[in-house]
Amino acid sequence: MEQIKSLFYRPSAAAVVALLSVTVFYIFAGVEFSKLMGAASWVNYAARIGIVALPVCLLMVSGEIDISIGAMIPAGAMTTAIISGHFELPMIFGIIGALSVGVIVGVINGILAIRTNVPTLIITLATLVGMQGVVLAGSKLLTGSASVPLTAPDWAKTLFGQLMFGGNHQVIIIWWVVLAFVFWFFLHMSKYGNWIFAMGGDKESARNAGIPVNRMTVLLFVLTSSSAAFVGMCHAILFNSAQVSGGMNDIFNIIVSVVVGGVLLTGGFGTVFGVFVGTLTFAVVNKGIDFTAIDRNWANLIIGAMLLIAVAMNESFRAFALRASVGKKGATPEPTPEKAT
Amino acid sequence: MSSSSHNSKGKVSFGNLIRLPETGSFIGFVVVYIFFAILGGAVFVGAPGWSSWLNIAAEVGIIALPVGLLMISGEFDISVGSIVPASSMTVAMLSGHYDLPATVGILGGLSVGVSIGFVNGILVTRTTIPSLIVTIGVMFAVMGLTLGFAVLLKGSTSVSYVPNPTAKFLLGQFINYMFSVAIFWWFAFVAFFYYVLHISPIGNWIYAVGGDRESARNAGIPTSKVTIGLFMASGFCAAFVGVAQVMTYQQAQVAGGQSFIFNSIMCVVIGGVLLTGGAGSIIGILLGTMTFAVVNQGVFFAALDPNTGSIIVGALLLIAVVSNDSFRKFAISAASKKT
Amino acid sequence: MKFTKTLAMAATAAMMATGAFAQDIAVIAGSVEDAFMDKIKKGVDDATHMVEANGGSVQYLRTQNYENFGPDLVTLINQAVAQGVDGIAIPVWVPDAQIPALQSAAAEGIKIMQYNSGLPVKADIGAINYFGSDEYAAGFGGGKYLAEKGAKHILCHIQVPGAINLTERCKGVTDGAAEAGAKVTILETPPNLDGDVTGTAEALKAEFIGDQSIDAMVSCADFGAAAGANAVEQTGLDVMVSAFDFSPATLERIKAGTQTMAIDQQPYLQGFLATSMLFAHLKFGTEISTDPVLTGPAIVDASNVEAVVAGAALGAR
Repeated sequence: MEQIKSLFYRPSAAAVVALLSVTVFYIFAGVEFSKLMGAASWVNYAARIGIVALPVCLLMVSGEIDISIGAMIPAGAMTTAIISGHFELPMIFGIIGALSVGVIVGVINGILAIRTNVPTLIITLATLVGMQGVVLAGSKLLTGSASVPLTAPDWAKTLFGQLMFGGNHQVIIIWWVVLAFVFWFFLHMSKYGNWIFAMGGDKESARNAGIPVNRMTVLLFVLTSSSAAFVGMCHAILFNSAQVSGGMNDIFNIIVSVVVGGVLLTGGFGTVFGVFVGTLTFAVVNKGIDFTAIDRNWANLIIGAMLLIAVAMNESFRAFALRASVGKKGATPEPTPEKAT
Repeated sequence: MSSSSHNSKGKVSFGNLIRLPETGSFIGFVVVYIFFAILGGAVFVGAPGWSSWLNIAAEVGIIALPVGLLMISGEFDISVGSIVPASSMTVAMLSGHYDLPATVGILGGLSVGVSIGFVNGILVTRTTIPSLIVTIGVMFAVMGLTLGFAVLLKGSTSVSYVPNPTAKFLLGQFINYMFSVAIFWWFAFVAFFYYVLHISPIGNWIYAVGGDRESARNAGIPTSKVTIGLFMASGFCAAFVGVAQVMTYQQAQVAGGQSFIFNSIMCVVIGGVLLTGGAGSIIGILLGTMTFAVVNQGVFFAALDPNTGSIIVGALLLIAVVSNDSFRKFAISAASKKT
Repeated sequence: MKFTKTLAMAATAAMMATGAFAQDIAVIAGSVEDAFMDKIKKGVDDATHMVEANGGSVQYLRTQNYENFGPDLVTLINQAVAQGVDGIAIPVWVPDAQIPALQSAAAEGIKIMQYNSGLPVKADIGAINYFGSDEYAAGFGGGKYLAEKGAKHILCHIQVPGAINLTERCKGVTDGAAEAGAKVTILETPPNLDGDVTGTAEALKAEFIGDQSIDAMVSCADFGAAAGANAVEQTGLDVMVSAFDFSPATLERIKAGTQTMAIDQQPYLQGFLATSMLFAHLKFGTEISTDPVLTGPAIVDASNVEAVVAGAALGAR
């Protein structure tokens, strides 16, 4: 019994319970479980969000937030498509171009974060708006239109864009799983992970303890921007086209997945596994309704209600775990968030 | 921490003026306006230009005021994006589809906003879920409800409504052809919120809650009531904008309103509200709104690609916040004694 | 956990039993928040009654919005295939992305019914028929109409830059207007103005004042007509207001004379016919000899607005 109880104390417990609960809900609502498992649509959807949610998880654990990812996904897609589709340069340049755009914006975000006192929500809001304009204006300037077709060579398709397992699952899923392992190791097994948790707890103490806070911050921002650009690039390769977009929905989707996964907005708390599960949960919530006979007009209502319930569960599980084991390693959040970010 | 915009007993000297945080916002506004005046020419500086950006400023401004107060107190409200269409649909359904008197429709729309705000407030104060997440969830839920009920009750997602002359006169008309009456309502809201934040004791409570919630509670401030009240205020204001839109454009639709979410935050930030709570002023929010509106509209008069508007707003956000940051440090470091 | 699992398996078994010999179709469409898509959905919903009465089922799959159009549509196609449907009704907005996915669906024996857009690629995907108007043709008709009414300089407003269907519309407007001797300027408002009537109205007002040779406008969205009418009201300039698709308020404006026309492609019919005809083909083997079947473009102006009003109030037009 104690063993089972301790399972519930883990930070990711609530996320797992949330995933199971939404699955059960949809089954009661009429989903054919076998069809749900066989369908790749929600897993593909999850992979797209998930790859960006992973570094965002790390960033949020360190106490910052990045909403410019919303504009970075289409930025990556458009860069790839313009370089290799419109200007017909070799594919490798398109890939490098997309990732470089990610790195550049990440560096900008990071430097602004460490050089000024401006909260990162605002910094990244500014880069979000700015990049939206840059991508749209740039696309019109360079190609004359706001959507660009792209035919990628076979090697690129195999690596980034193809469908496997009988044609439904995108290879991006494999990238997601691999990156999840990498980030899990980074956050939970390596010393860098301890640094990130320390930064999330208290930046000044972390700095005094000798942690290179500034370099880590810039690195984390580079990771979030580049992974967003990467996702955009994969999509351009897989779907043979790229389109300018505002990216607002992606922002909400990613933040929700991360929070459902148990990451505290104020920093210092969270797990990669939790975010992985949180992403799956969000994908099921979003796509599950397509497998039922519920009128689609109520879709958003269900999503909103499920989100609130999932996060409320997170909060009570965490309070539960805190009460039972005060002082456990990695679990030192304040019960009420003081800062908004 | 508390607003340094008041030299309630001190003299108004040039030095004091320069140190006001709002000075930064004011300079920003002037610079931006001159920039677009040069590019936009006589048309922009004339009535068409003024009315253009004032009309936009009024709409987002009414919402930015309580959103700003919430940010001062340390919270976010993302749900405003869905409250605007929810309230305009309510008005159009009640008074247009069901033919009830205009006042019933308007009250219906406003109470929808206030109730959603109340729900936000309760969820934020009764649970430990951060307001960012609560209001995102509520936003989705309200979007779903609005669409679901619209199709259920009316069978379509947009409702047309011809308001009676009084309602149209009060809420939906254009003065001198180009100036929306919403501008005057906006100024009224500015005056009201100015009173709340800078003159009434509630203002101090808001600053205190934003500074440190626990200490505020310990000092005897009814923090929950303040928070719930603020969320109800932002719900009310968003609903008001929805009502005004129905009266002006004579139709309501289910989609639309999303842009208010980030736009209102941008106005508030440009106006110098510290994201972490505890600082800011109504004049600052007013100036921030005006700056935002000038940029958004200026691009169309200046024959610039509208997308450069986004780039400019992005740059402006950063400049405004960094400079507000430095101005504030400047003010704090050289401040004479505050009361 | 075990109880839930048993329940789940029982539910699955029950579901599968009833679905044994049904014809299942998936209808793929755009976001439920889009007023145009809602009329398509009403058509689909009405056809669903007929389908279900005959033992079939309809899955309505929609994209979240226009932001990630190509990928979202392909994801839905794959989802439909995974759900084991017998037919898919779908508009082809992003051919580059959708054609491969539809071809592999067809290779598995799934019948494709096309509607709303992508007529030029119908042969590539082997669709059994097409119900719609084609965005380009709709734009062409609209541009020509305005030019023939005396417009010399038309402003074509796109509210979601990057949406391929909207770009097609304005391309059509440009060519149609050119044929009758008018020129067209395209205005793409930034994405954050999508759905924002006030912001769009002010933007249009600035355009009208800035270039007074503009004497007509057509917006790719219905709210753009409201914005345009407001801009005309504010400036007092003589600009003909028109838009693609319409709403009850639009019809009021046409009746009142503040809007010149609306370009209609009868989305209700597209949704209704695509769904019901696909099912009929699957179940009864029927075929329509007219191929493609055009549901538009039809111009709604003062001369025929009355006939449309009743349908609009019911959400079908």
